[in-house]
Amino acid sequence: MAAKALPTSESLLLAGMDLTEEDIERRKAFLEFREDDVERLRGLNDVAEKYADSVIEDLYEHFLSYEETRAFFKDSATLSRVKKMQKEYFLQLTQGSYGLSYIANRIKVGLVHQRIALDVKWYLGAYNFYLRAVMDRLFEGHTKKPNGAIAVLRSLMKLVFLDISLAIQTYVRTIQQQQAAIRELSTPVLLVRPRLLMVPIIGVIDSQRAQQLTESLLGAIRINRAKVVVMDITGVAAVDSKVANHVIQTVAAARLMGADVIVTGLSADVAQSLVALGVDLSRIKSVGDLQGGLEEAERMLGYQVVPLAERPTAAQRP
Amino acid sequence: MPVPILKQGGVLIVSVQAALTDNDLVALRDDLAEKVGRFRSHGVVIDVSALDVMDSFATRTLRGIAETTALRGAKTVVVGIQPDVAFSMTLLGLTLDGVATALDLDEGMDLLAAPIRRRGDDGA
Repeated sequence: MAAKALPTSESLLLAGMDLTEEDIERRKAFLEFREDDVERLRGLNDVAEKYADSVIEDLYEHFLSYEETRAFFKDSATLSRVKKMQKEYFLQLTQGSYGLSYIANRIKVGLVHQRIALDVKWYLGAYNFYLRAVMDRLFEGHTKKPNGAIAVLRSLMKLVFLDISLAIQTYVRTIQQQQAAIRELSTPVLLVRPRLLMVPIIGVIDSQRAQQLTESLLGAIRINRAKVVVMDITGVAAVDSKVANHVIQTVAAARLMGADVIVTGLSADVAQSLVALGVDLSRIKSVGDLQGGLEEAERMLGYQVVPLAERPTAAQRP
Repeated sequence: MPVPILKQGGVLIVSVQAALTDNDLVALRDDLAEKVGRFRSHGVVIDVSALDVMDSFATRTLRGIAETTALRGAKTVVVGIQPDVAFSMTLLGLTLDGVATALDLDEGMDLLAAPIRRRGDDGA
């Protein structure tokens, strides 16, 4: 990795996106964005200055004529602020410097759009509008030599697609971060009574999480000297043969440590689909709901839960 | 290294102290099969808490011991499997089906004293 001195905020932003200078160069190379493209775009700067305001006006008129995009411009102050920023961006496109600060700027813009929850479809639609608006004006100015206009347009397309890829990456990145956060939600192992543990599982069970779960459960069995474990999978989004196998493995591991596992919360649909899949659940003890599971566990441990009113009085006690 | 077998009432206690070679395991199996008859024991507890590895041969031999002693009238309980050993065993598919298991020696003795619920019998 090139250890060039970058302004900290920019390098942080790039690091957060797992982007290095090398990556950016690779991207540009893939788009065949070269020096002559930079030159061509820089040559367009005068034209851009001239048309900037009209392009931006058209773009925002377009935004305001659709309900979904209009919602993002609540007042005129917001509108004029974003228009100003949009103009800056528009002019940057032809300023010929597409280095790290340009890239960092694109990512920042992408993050802002992602944060205000602008859907990707509107984002891409806006880029399309942009390109068309610029195209129209380019050909107006280049009526004499359309080949020149096409060359400039090709360069501009490369740059715009570079920008789009960066912006979309911020969206994807956020989704990945959220998935990681969900995965890391720990699965608590709770002690309900002496020697009785409960494990409520919520979300998705993949092999990584199943492993984590099994390890923490086995540790808890030893620490609490548990004899019975109630594992509730009501909150597991989808139970297929893979998930069932993870559950079977966890049950087998707990049994090796002398603990019985009762699985609860298999819904009617889940039960039917597991049977249809032919998953061998003969080694799993399963009870319909969590209440039933706890009652069964208490029975196995020799507890009996009696309402206070029905408690045997001293005289009745043997 | 031969594994010591201790007699405690009607129960034989085997405490495995170090990793066993295959020969040790076979010797243990033969020894137990003989002693169960000689002492007229009704139970065998094998404590493996000192082991940090349990391979397929050891698993198979333990099952063999459990089946052999069962034929001689004694129930075998394997106790003290460590959490990470249990985890890697299940990953390898070595689930000791049909062999009773318990957390530690205390639990194993309890299980033999009150064999109401024969763990491991339901699944095998």
